[in-house]
Parts: sequence; C-alpha cells; structure tokens
Amino acid sequence: MQEQSPRTVRTQHLRRISVFDGQDLKRALLAGAAWLEEHREVINALNVFPVPDGDTGSNMTATMQAAIRGIAESNETSAGIIAAKLAHGALMGARGNSGVILSQTLRGLAQGLENKKTFAAADLAAALEEASRLAYRAVLKPVEGTILTVVRESAEAARVSADRGDDLVGLMQVVVTAARQSVASTPDLLPTLKQAGVVDSGGQGFCTILEGIWRYIRGEAVQLGAAPTLVPPAEAHVMKGRVSIEEEFGYEVVFLLRGEKLDVDSIRQTIIDMGGESTVVAGDEKMLKVHTHVPWPGKVLDYGVSLGSLLDINIENLQEQSLTYAAESEAEHAADQEEEVYDTSTLTPDLATLAVVSGAGFEKVFQGLRVSVIVPGGQTMNPSIEELLKAVNSVAAQKVIILPNNSNVILSARQVDNLADKEVYIVPTATMPQGIASLLACNYEADFATNCKTMTEAADNTQTAEITTAVRTVQIGGVHVREGDFIGLINGNLTIAGQTIEEVIRDMLQRMHIDRYEILTLYYGEDVTAQEAQETAKRIKAQYSHIEIEVVDGGQPYYAYILSAE
Amino acid sequence: MAVRILTDSTCDIPLEQAKALGITIVPLIVFFGDEAFLDGIELDNASFYSKLQTSKVSPRTSQPPPAAFEEAYKRLINEGVDGILSVHVSSKLSGTYQSACSGWEALPDELKKIPIELVDSSIVSLGLGIPVMRAAKEAERGLSLPELKARLLDRLARMKIFFVLDTLEYLKRGGRIGGARALLGNILSVKPILSFKNGEIVPIEQPRTRSKAYARIAQLVGELGVVEEMAVIESDEEVGQQLAQSLKTVYQGEIPRYKLGAVLGAYAGPGTAGVMVITASKDS
Repeated sequence: MQEQSPRTVRTQHLRRISVFDGQDLKRALLAGAAWLEEHREVINALNVFPVPDGDTGSNMTATMQAAIRGIAESNETSAGIIAAKLAHGALMGARGNSGVILSQTLRGLAQGLENKKTFAAADLAAALEEASRLAYRAVLKPVEGTILTVVRESAEAARVSADRGDDLVGLMQVVVTAARQSVASTPDLLPTLKQAGVVDSGGQGFCTILEGIWRYIRGEAVQLGAAPTLVPPAEAHVMKGRVSIEEEFGYEVVFLLRGEKLDVDSIRQTIIDMGGESTVVAGDEKMLKVHTHVPWPGKVLDYGVSLGSLLDINIENLQEQSLTYAAESEAEHAADQEEEVYDTSTLTPDLATLAVVSGAGFEKVFQGLRVSVIVPGGQTMNPSIEELLKAVNSVAAQKVIILPNNSNVILSARQVDNLADKEVYIVPTATMPQGIASLLACNYEADFATNCKTMTEAADNTQTAEITTAVRTVQIGGVHVREGDFIGLINGNLTIAGQTIEEVIRDMLQRMHIDRYEILTLYYGEDVTAQEAQETAKRIKAQYSHIEIEVVDGGQPYYAYILSAE
Repeated sequence: MAVRILTDSTCDIPLEQAKALGITIVPLIVFFGDEAFLDGIELDNASFYSKLQTSKVSPRTSQPPPAAFEEAYKRLINEGVDGILSVHVSSKLSGTYQSACSGWEALPDELKKIPIELVDSSIVSLGLGIPVMRAAKEAERGLSLPELKARLLDRLARMKIFFVLDTLEYLKRGGRIGGARALLGNILSVKPILSFKNGEIVPIEQPRTRSKAYARIAQLVGELGVVEEMAVIESDEEVGQQLAQSLKTVYQGEIPRYKLGAVLGAYAGPGTAGVMVITASKDS
C-alpha cells in the first residue's frame, strides 16, 4: 500500500494506483473541497438569472465543507467509513438545490463503498453509478444540461474506463475529461444557458471537485487539510434587534410538563423569578411546554419535577448554539411590542408550521400569522438541510408543514421529509407572499391532510411580483437586461427590465391584469423608506382606483418591492 | 295547556315571529356609556348600528337580571303551562344562562312543581334561534317537555355556524374573542372566518377579501353534506345578500335572512355576515 500511495507520486509519468484506503480517499476529497472553494466566486458568476439568488458556488462549497468537517481530522483507514461520514456531513449541511444534489451524489458514493476498507477502479465506477442514480432521484423532474447530466456522464465514463482495466489514476483522468466535456455541452441541452452564454454552474461545481481530486492524484499542490474557512451559518446576526448569539448566556431548557391543575401563569412567573430569560410557558392545566434560558438548568428541571412528569427534555448550551429560532424569542419579542402578549402555542396542538423567511418585516408578518418556527434565509442565503431539520425537531407537534418560500430551498425541504421522524409536508412555495397566502388558508379546525391540500391551493392561486436590480447583463426569454437595470419578475419569471422602478412596476401591474384583483399588498424592502413606499402606492392607486392597497414593511434585502395580488 | 319555550334576546328571532310562535324572549341589556337599553325592545337594529359607528364609547352588554327570568317564569306558570323549555346563549360568552338558573331558583316552591328545563345552547344567534323556533312549533303540536328537549339538543348538536367579520376589533374590545385571539397578531388586513366549538368562538381561516370569504364559507358549507335547514344572519343588508348569493352555489333550498341583534352586533361589529346550518340527521 505504502509505495502505491498517491503521496509518493512525484514523477511526470504517473504510477499506477490500484487501491485507495480511507486516508487516501480522505485526502483526495479534502483536495476536491479545497479546489471547489478556491473557485467558488467563478462558479457563482455562472448564475444565469440576473437576480441575486442562492449562488451555486457558495451553496456547493458550504455543502462540501460540511461534508469534510467530520473526516478532516479522522485517522480512519476504512474507505467505507470515511465515505459514510462524508455523506452524512453533506446531507446535513446541504444548501440550495445544487447542494442537495451534491449531497445525494456523495450518499451514492458511500453506498457504493459500503463495507469496503479499500477500493479499486471497478469499485469506484460502481459507486459513481450509484451516485448518479441517487442524484436523479433527488429531484422530482430531472432536467438535462445540469449537474445531473455531468454526474451521469462522469459515471458512464468511469464504467468504460474500469471495464477496460484502467487503474484509479487512469479512471480519474477519464472521468475528469468526461466531466469537462459534459459541462462544456450543457448549453446545448439547456437553452437558457445558451442564451445567457454560460455553462451550468452546478455541473461546473461538480467538475471542479473532480478536478481537485485529480490534481491531488497527480501530486499537484492543493492545500490539504485546510481548515474549513466558510463561516457556517450567517444566520446568527440576521435576527435583527432580537436574539443574537452575543447576547446569549447559559443554557436553553425546553421540556413538556405533564401534571394536574398546572397553573400556566404562576409557573411562568416562578421560572422568570429563577432568572429565566426568554421564558415561554404555554399549554393547559394538564400539559404545557416550557422554554427558558437559565444559567442553572438543574433548578428549572427540579422545579418541573416537583409539579409533574417531564417529557422531551432538551438542554442546549447557548454559547455553542449556532442557530436561533424565532420561537425562542417569542416571549421577549412580544413583550417589546406595544400590543398585548399573544398566546404562543402552535396552531393546533398537533400541527406546526415552519417558514423560511428573509427580512425583519416579513418575519413579523409570519409571526403574526402564528408560524411555529422561522428559519432565516431565502434569496442569497439558503438554509441547510440540517437547519431545517433542527427547526422541524424544535417544535412539539408531530406534524409539520414547511413553507420554503424560495425555489432554491424546496429541494432541501424535501430532504427533511426523508430525515425527520415526524410527518412533514412541503407546500412548495416559491415566494414569501405564497407562503403568507398559504398560512392564511391554514384551517384551524381541519385535519392535516385537508390543510396540506388547501394550503397548497392557496399558494398556487397567489400572484407574486418582485422588483430587484439586475446583477448581470443577460438576455433571457426576449428580455434584454443590463447590469444595474431594475427588473421585474412575475411568479419567479423574469418579465420586464427598465430604467426606473416606477416604469417596471407600471408594466408589471399591467401584465398581471391587476384591474381584475381586489387587494394589492406592497411589501417594501430594507432599502426603501416608508415614505417612498407610500408614494409608490399612491401612484398605483391613481391608476387603479378600485383596488385596495396595503403597504407593509417587508424589510427584505435586494428586492425593493415584493407585491402580491388577490 | 302545552309546553312553552323561553329564550333570551341573543337568539335573533324577530319579535313578531316570536310572538306568532308563542316564544317568550327575555332581553339582555345594551349600554352606551350610562345609557341602558333593553335589547330589541328599546333599541332596534338600525339605530343600534348607527350608534355603534358614531358613538364615542364602545357599547357594553349585560345579562338580564335573575329577576327578569323569575318574572317571566312566573307569568308563564300563572298562564297555566305544562312546562317550560328555557334555552340560552353559550354560558362561555354570557352570564345569561346563570342568571336564568338563579331566576328559577328564586321561584317559590309551589311554582317549582311545574317542570322547567334549562339549556345552555353553547352557541349564539340563530344557532339557538332556529332550534328554538322548531321547538316552539313542536310544542304547539303537543310534544312533551322531555321530547322537546331531546329534539332541541339533537338539533344543537347538528348546528354549524360560519361567520365573517369586517374586523376583529370589536371582538377584541369586547373581550369575548375566545380562540380567535390566535388571529390578533396578524399585521395584514383580513376578513376572518370564525366558527363555534364547545361554546366558544374558534378561528377558521383568514381570507384577504370579502368575496373570497363568501366563496370559502360556501365551500365549507358544501362540505357539510346534506342540509336540513339554513339561515343567514347579517348586520346589514348588503353583506347578508352577498353571502346568501354565494351559498346558492351549494344549496338550492330557501335561505331566510335575519338581522344580527344589538348584543351580538356589539361584539361582531358592522359588516358581519354568518350562516347557520343544521345538517341532516343520520337517520333521516
């Protein structure tokens, strides 16, 4: 094994490598991850759409970094175990559609290498075939000319190479060559790529990982074992004016308390008196949920035991916690408001809702609609599968409806369905107004199945228009866009580009046949003032006098206005 | 002489109709500041709603005093009735039922020999109004008090109510919001659809527009299956007519419309429309 190790490869004529063990595989993958990270921005720039949305390079890099986090320091020599750890890390850390597909590819690789301490070219070819199969299964409607094609054609090339007796070096060379060709031909398969004059970003990302591995095998310098430099979730500071990591202390204690004649108000007060912050106590006299932040978790648990029996106890060290959820600060937040403090329990005892939301104003809107838990994110910041999964597990209810509110989060949400022990349903909302319409249609008295249906219908019946600034010059579907133009999207489709916000809004409303609707909600973004928004509303009203216009502070980044018509 | 039916003014049965059916209605009391009015008697619907929108003070309401029930029971007993079925608004929303119980207890022992059945309907408005009117007709046909009560309870169990409000503001101010408090945090303007469950108001959905609310209520009614009887309640003509129109898509029978009285109007506010539906019993 030693003389065959790639670490010793220095000659121009590559030596044959028959087998890889766990450490070889680890180093190869670290190299792949490092090479991908180095090219993150290049891959980001391949985005077709001129809107600031989930960047493929960043999403894939984050996914890959999550994948290697568990193996970087490992001394494990079994290739199968290294691959399994890698796949687990990727699955939990996957962000965006490309990240989810990448994670499925790594899962396929792990399945192919299962129980193998070492592997040879034929094993790798079989594992890549499995990777391709799982990647296709990750999406409901596979589209060619994407990362899927690149994974599949790479696997096909590996099979041909292995069958003719190539070693691992030969196989990787063939695979990388095939992957490059496959990426180069993606515009021939997908017209939008051709129009935009780019190759597929996800395919490029996958190819870049393979190139990194190939460079390692050839003995070229790739920073090995570099500590993951991506800051994991940027979410910590997103919850503006609310809980931030810096302010946290002690432990978060959550449990269900079952007893008789429990007094919600007096229990809440006692826990607050114990020094509990962000304390939420909700429920009835037989069962209630306690959530609090305390320096000494034991005290609160002792108190709970004195009242009844404790269930689903969960204690987290807040300094270690990298995520904050809206529900946790519900009590604090509500106390800040001038209005009275509202009951904070879930919609129905058995049903919880989860929404991915960006913008402080939108968060308030979703909270007002009693969404059970908010995962910050959206547009350029797609939450990972793990973040979504953790949020699903944070609610007491056994049935959870997820509102991804972004087309690039829907796939991650679907993975949560596979991972969670709970019953999870995804309403495939692509915009926040769709998520809002869906929540408004949530019937408090109906069962889970009925709500899944009515909430999906409500989302489908909502028209969303979004106005943002083009981040690149492109021509798509007959619309000429120059970088810096204002652009309008109707239900996610680029429809209009113009020099001023006014003209883009005017044209969009016309195309939406706004005169047929009764109410228009105008959510203004963080870069728009309330006064500007009111003036915009006035201009619209002047043209469409019958329509009721509601102006709401959305606080969303990048999008000056998000409109919904009903 | 037969059994007679007694109820309170939250039943929203028009006075002439009550008189014709031999129903005794004990009025609740509506206050605007220091001014007190007997519901339906000293304050008609039209003047109530105009007062509601112009008055600087929010109206308050009060259950009838026990003495009002005591008097009413005495009068009926002195007329020679065989028994009294006394049906009242949900005890979770009003002290009326309690007041009626106290009124009965205050009766002299010899009058208590006449059987009186007190019923907490766990519902409001025509939700109890319709079963009360049916009971009055059945009482006229000579049905016994236990039989009348059993039939009334059966109809109450099959009663469904959906109503749409213009705003939750009045419900919130009146403090009778029940489960609909879940909707209070909403920043967006909506036309909430509410219902009744276990004697309390519960939220259903939050459509953004009236037309959607009417369509949705019709859909919900359509899902109830076979309907025995239906009526619309309205705070004003326009909203009731629109809701009834929408209901015609799912129900071909007659849909009588009634005015929402002052007591409930004080909590629901202007622009309220609702539908009361008795679904067909399983054996019919």
